[in-house]
Amino acid sequence: MVKLILRRLVQMVLIMAVASLLLFAIFDTPEFKKRLAVQELGGFAVSALTDESYNAWLAEKGLDAPFYIRYVNWLGDILQGDLGFSYEKNREVAPLLMDRLANTGILAFFVFALMIPISLVLGILAGMKEGSVQDRSISFISVFTTSIPEIATAILLTVVLALGLGWLPAKSAMISGFDFKQLVLPVLTLVIYDFGYVARMTRASMAEVMTSQYIRTAILKGIPYRRVIMKHALRNALIAPFTLIVLQLNWLLSGVVVVEVFFEYDGFGKLLLEAALFPDVEVVQACTLVAVAVAVMSQIISDIGYTFLNPRIRFA
Amino acid sequence: MSTRDTSSKLHPKVEDARREMERGRLNRREFVRFAALLGVGAGAAYAMAGLPSPAFADDHGNMPFPADDPNAKSGGILKIAMQVQKMEDPATYSWVEMSNQTRHILEHLAMTGPDNVTRPMLAERWEASDDLTTWTFYLRKGVKWHNGDDFTTEDVKFNFDRWMNPDLGSSNVGLSSIAAMLEERDGKKVMREGAIEVIDDHTIRFNLAKPVLSFPEDMYNYPTALLHRSFEPPFSANPIGTGPFTLVENVVGDKCILKRAENHEYWGGKVYLDEIHYYNFDEDNQLTAFATGEVDSIYEFGVEQMELAKALDGEIVSARTSQTLCCRFQVDKKPFDDKRVRQAIVKAIDNNRVMELVYPEGGDVGENHHVAPIHPEYFELPKLTRDVEGAKALLAEAGYADGLELTIDVGNTDGPWHQTVAEAMRDQLKDVGITLNVNVMPPSKYWEIWDKTPFGATAWTHRPLGTMVLSLGYRSGVPWNETNYANPEWDAALDEAESTLDVEKRRALMEKVEKILQDDAVMVQPIFRPVYTIVKSSVNGYPGHPTQYHQFNKVWKA
Repeated sequence: MVKLILRRLVQMVLIMAVASLLLFAIFDTPEFKKRLAVQELGGFAVSALTDESYNAWLAEKGLDAPFYIRYVNWLGDILQGDLGFSYEKNREVAPLLMDRLANTGILAFFVFALMIPISLVLGILAGMKEGSVQDRSISFISVFTTSIPEIATAILLTVVLALGLGWLPAKSAMISGFDFKQLVLPVLTLVIYDFGYVARMTRASMAEVMTSQYIRTAILKGIPYRRVIMKHALRNALIAPFTLIVLQLNWLLSGVVVVEVFFEYDGFGKLLLEAALFPDVEVVQACTLVAVAVAVMSQIISDIGYTFLNPRIRFA
Repeated sequence: MSTRDTSSKLHPKVEDARREMERGRLNRREFVRFAALLGVGAGAAYAMAGLPSPAFADDHGNMPFPADDPNAKSGGILKIAMQVQKMEDPATYSWVEMSNQTRHILEHLAMTGPDNVTRPMLAERWEASDDLTTWTFYLRKGVKWHNGDDFTTEDVKFNFDRWMNPDLGSSNVGLSSIAAMLEERDGKKVMREGAIEVIDDHTIRFNLAKPVLSFPEDMYNYPTALLHRSFEPPFSANPIGTGPFTLVENVVGDKCILKRAENHEYWGGKVYLDEIHYYNFDEDNQLTAFATGEVDSIYEFGVEQMELAKALDGEIVSARTSQTLCCRFQVDKKPFDDKRVRQAIVKAIDNNRVMELVYPEGGDVGENHHVAPIHPEYFELPKLTRDVEGAKALLAEAGYADGLELTIDVGNTDGPWHQTVAEAMRDQLKDVGITLNVNVMPPSKYWEIWDKTPFGATAWTHRPLGTMVLSLGYRSGVPWNETNYANPEWDAALDEAESTLDVEKRRALMEKVEKILQDDAVMVQPIFRPVYTIVKSSVNGYPGHPTQYHQFNKVWKA
């Protein structure tokens, strides 16, 4: 097992290295530098600059050095634990990133806290009797909610719950400190989008288990149906959803850009988007490293969890 | 200072103007504008015109702010949704938002009010020589910095020296007043010998290489905030100012907290608010932030959000401006090098209709010469009318009888209304056989090509005088000339207008300037747009400003 984890970690470092090198190369193009200049100095100003003063500006920002030198410098800083400086936000990347990760963590916590029980219960209920009315209606709802894009759900919820009924704040900028009420709409949007997917997977897994030999045997032996489900079916049926849920971590980290931007929630996804648009290369880099780390970690967790849940799989 | 003091040192032209006014050749409002330009306190000017002082002219103090409101309540926090940006070096600011954060701390020599009239601010008054090459500024006495220092000419000189330092990269060097103090030396633009003359602690004189009309107006341009002589960037680390507020905290992309400066005797009279908070919201999200009651006002909302704004509980504040969209041709690129093609396009488009379509709440119709009715020297030319047949004839004459396909680059750099304008043009051009493709690109992309594309829609911001933007944008060979227009006759006409202080005479001279530019058909410039913001009804005295400059000295919350 240690070997597996080590191998994964080495892979992670390799992915990080390649991704950061690629990003650095992309952001090093004259177009991106120009865009940075436009953000810093304004569009009119940049086009009025002479080549000489534009180059002076580049030199002042340290952007005139060839990209491999800047990359090696950046790498050296990273290895010393310095994540760099944000052009746009005018502050160190590390504390900025921690702030945003914490915010996304809060969001993810509530999404999971709602989404896991809802999707598991619905998925199991649907999978218990394939083809029943219960199954059909749950499946319909799941497919329906998942197929609506997050942005549509977000707009609909805002119009109805915030602007129409006035029950909830429309934005989640939390300008006067943390406010749970402002978290409701983004959490709801994400749960509505995501629970159907996990529920459908749970349903499929449950339905498969229900058709297996040992369940049929157990029922034929006369064990009460309730006990068959609780004791025999569930454990096996939950293996697939477990890995799936762990993988949702990735999605919640950078896949929720739309929701974070729409609700002005200052999370990781919004940070990544702003940095990419600015273009704030050191922030993009730091975000990428975090995203890769979380992706690999969640895979490790799901692999390990899988082997514990399924005794048939043993570590090689 | 009393008003009598000023009138005793009046610029000779003021007396002329008063006579003009009395003879009925100059209307009273114009007189006030003219007198203010020559350094007469607006209050005094209104008095000379025999008009009651309006809200924005306080007689007693020669104040640029509106008079104190007897019903005003002190205290409270004003919360505004705006992009929160860094406050590094006010002399190199490139966005209005950053200057808004700073404008409650730092002040300017002059201040342009919501009515587009420029009045003395940290200057008590100013005088211009008849040939407009020497400008003397008299500083207001008793103005204190937050650290207790007196505000003197030393501070003013410090700032001018900084702006003109070629290594600083301040955009102020592009202002005509500052540009006229520079000369080229060893390939660098540096300050001319003797350009600044410090007379005493409160009098400073500027000697310019050529006449400049817009000196006071330039002094309220957003990077001309006056810094303390000890300034070192970043400003946010040591925010000493003369204004009523000081900086508590600035977190870029999050919030900017300003608080009334303690132990500071403010020259500008009563200030009601205790604190001003800016919270970061993108432009698209500001109105929704307002809708949920989180903030008292916002930086701006676009005309496309007007219906939503009307449905909200708040007061919509609009400001008439000379902000505009120039759908301009490069006159040396095919097919626009043929004047007949340009004229045909201009004739085919009904600016009135475009304005009504895009800004149904009002605004000013553009006349394709980039001088707005809000400008003091605006000369009213005969109204433009659409002429489809004439346009077709011109096209045929130019060899495009079978039609013509064109592409306009649109960057939507200050909102999606650019695209709407281009689409309206597309529909109107269809009638004369021109197919217009609208190429929409991201704003940052557009700024890469704005002065290179043969046909592009560029947004220009408001400037208090009509001549200011003409000089920047259409003179032969100037850096911001995006049309490649070069017409010596027109340059000379503009020179003449620019060296004429007398508004009435200048307006007469503007006829030629506007006419030539209009006839040469270098652009379709259909709208001078209003800018909109919205405030809660509990907020009083919230000024709308043509350049969206925030100056909240007299704002109070019920």
